[in-house]
Amino acid sequence: MSDSKSSSAPPSPKPVSLAEVGQYSCGLTLVFVLASSCWVLLPYTGDLFVALVFLMAIVLAGTWWNRGPVLMMAVVSALVWNYFFIPPQYTLHIDKPQDMVMFSLFFIVALSMGHLITRLRAREATLAQHHQEREHLLELKHRAELLAESERLHRTLLDSVAHELKTPIAIIRTALDGLGQGNPYACEIETANRRLQRIVENFLEMTRVESEALEPQPDWCEIGDVLHAAIKPIQQELSEHTLLITGTKDLPLLRLDSRLLAQVMGNVLHNATRYAPAGTDIEIQASLAGSTLELRVRDHGPGLPLGAEDQLFEKFYRAPDSPAGGTGLGLAIARGLMRAMKGDMEAHTHPTGGAEFVLHLPVKTRSAA
Amino acid sequence: MSKALIIDDEQQMRRLLRMVLESRGYEVCEAAEGQLGLQEAAFHRPDVVLLDLGLPGMNGIEVLKRLREWSDVPVLILSVRDQETIKVEALENGADDYVTKPFGTAELLARLTVIQRRRFTRQSAEIIVGPLKLDLLHHEASLDEVPLKLTPTEFALLKVLAEHAGRIVTQNQIMKQVWAGQTSDPSEGLRVHINHLRKKIGEAGPRIVNEPGIGYRLEDGS
Repeated sequence: MSDSKSSSAPPSPKPVSLAEVGQYSCGLTLVFVLASSCWVLLPYTGDLFVALVFLMAIVLAGTWWNRGPVLMMAVVSALVWNYFFIPPQYTLHIDKPQDMVMFSLFFIVALSMGHLITRLRAREATLAQHHQEREHLLELKHRAELLAESERLHRTLLDSVAHELKTPIAIIRTALDGLGQGNPYACEIETANRRLQRIVENFLEMTRVESEALEPQPDWCEIGDVLHAAIKPIQQELSEHTLLITGTKDLPLLRLDSRLLAQVMGNVLHNATRYAPAGTDIEIQASLAGSTLELRVRDHGPGLPLGAEDQLFEKFYRAPDSPAGGTGLGLAIARGLMRAMKGDMEAHTHPTGGAEFVLHLPVKTRSAA
Repeated sequence: MSKALIIDDEQQMRRLLRMVLESRGYEVCEAAEGQLGLQEAAFHRPDVVLLDLGLPGMNGIEVLKRLREWSDVPVLILSVRDQETIKVEALENGADDYVTKPFGTAELLARLTVIQRRRFTRQSAEIIVGPLKLDLLHHEASLDEVPLKLTPTEFALLKVLAEHAGRIVTQNQIMKQVWAGQTSDPSEGLRVHINHLRKKIGEAGPRIVNEPGIGYRLEDGS
């Protein structure tokens, strides 16, 4: 039993716990009880039997108790056995050489039994703990996988719904092109189809914004390109207005998600075309204050309904007396997208009339030189 | 007569595209899914392929990759919006251009014509895009016969765009050809050079149009 140093579990000079004190006293009591009963039975059994009883007690104690109390039991029972049972009794002295050998064997066996069994238990405990930790990790991983899976499903569902909704619109568009431009009925269908397309795109975009499946991908860009991309899809609606753009030429390169910002601008501009009377100007002003890009879009329409400055960014909000059509989603999406990019936007009625939308966006800049 | 292959899972879409293309003198064959599409491509040897990205089973990108293993037929991608990353993936895997559903017939036909004009046929050392002329031999560019003063990088950049005139070129493709991936923040450099080029070309020449999240297109407005 040479492994007393390597085996002794982490040399922990921890204070003896209350439970351990209980185990020490129980151990002593047990040895005392066993010794007295064996002492009574000694004439019928002989001293070897007593040794076996002690060994069994140590093994059993080892399966429940800590190392300290068990080793203490081993030492105490060896001494008790020697003192009370090995002839000559009531002395620690041993006469016969074979009794001497027996005593030494008992001492060694008792100590190593206690030691081995407690070590086994300690190992079991660490194993159980590892197992528990692994289970815990597995559960965490499982949960993460479930989450990713549900997100993926959500996206797939969104994609397939998008596909289903957009395909008929695309087919109508292509078929109308085939009919040619001359037919006034075809023109009406075309207008309605464009409106339908806008509604479908808004609903899909709103879902995307709300599901937070949106990750801005900033890259260097020029604000002129962003505005160009914003204007292109709504050229027809903008054709009745004059667009006045100022400040874009003075801006350096900006690092932002140009696709998302183009969409925001597209929605804000489209909103302006719906309220501002035909023939009026729509002004876009771009400027940079520190590292914040500011975009102002001003129309010359009736301005905002009193007290609706914030309400109008709510989903499905429709201004009273607003023209038919529209889902009340465009501005909600615009604000959602701005916030996804860590920016924001607000609206107010311009002191000299018309609505003004102000967009703020933190951007990285470097001079375009 | 040009032969066109339509690979799209929507029967109505295929029928309409067939009508549109046949009215413009194309001979048309079609397939409802990727595997069949590849077989049709091998069998009919089309001059141009219209490929829907959202195919069931083998997706559009996979079809494109397989097709590119043995054919360099011009491919036009048909896709829905909000698929910028997948569009870029398609373009970088050999697609020539894309249109977004719903698309106008005029736009579709224009794209088809441009991509069939075919990548740089390099028979002459000159590229001409409207009033813009590039002399590859002497590395000189001129606009309406007036020489443009371009730096070597600007010339290389303009060359890539002009070679693909009318077609989209992704940011990565430009960067690979102009810088061979050797700048630290390439996209910033690219923007700066595009900016300079735009100023030098001015209003008179072809426009360099940015498509957010995808790349650039040199459009000859004249």
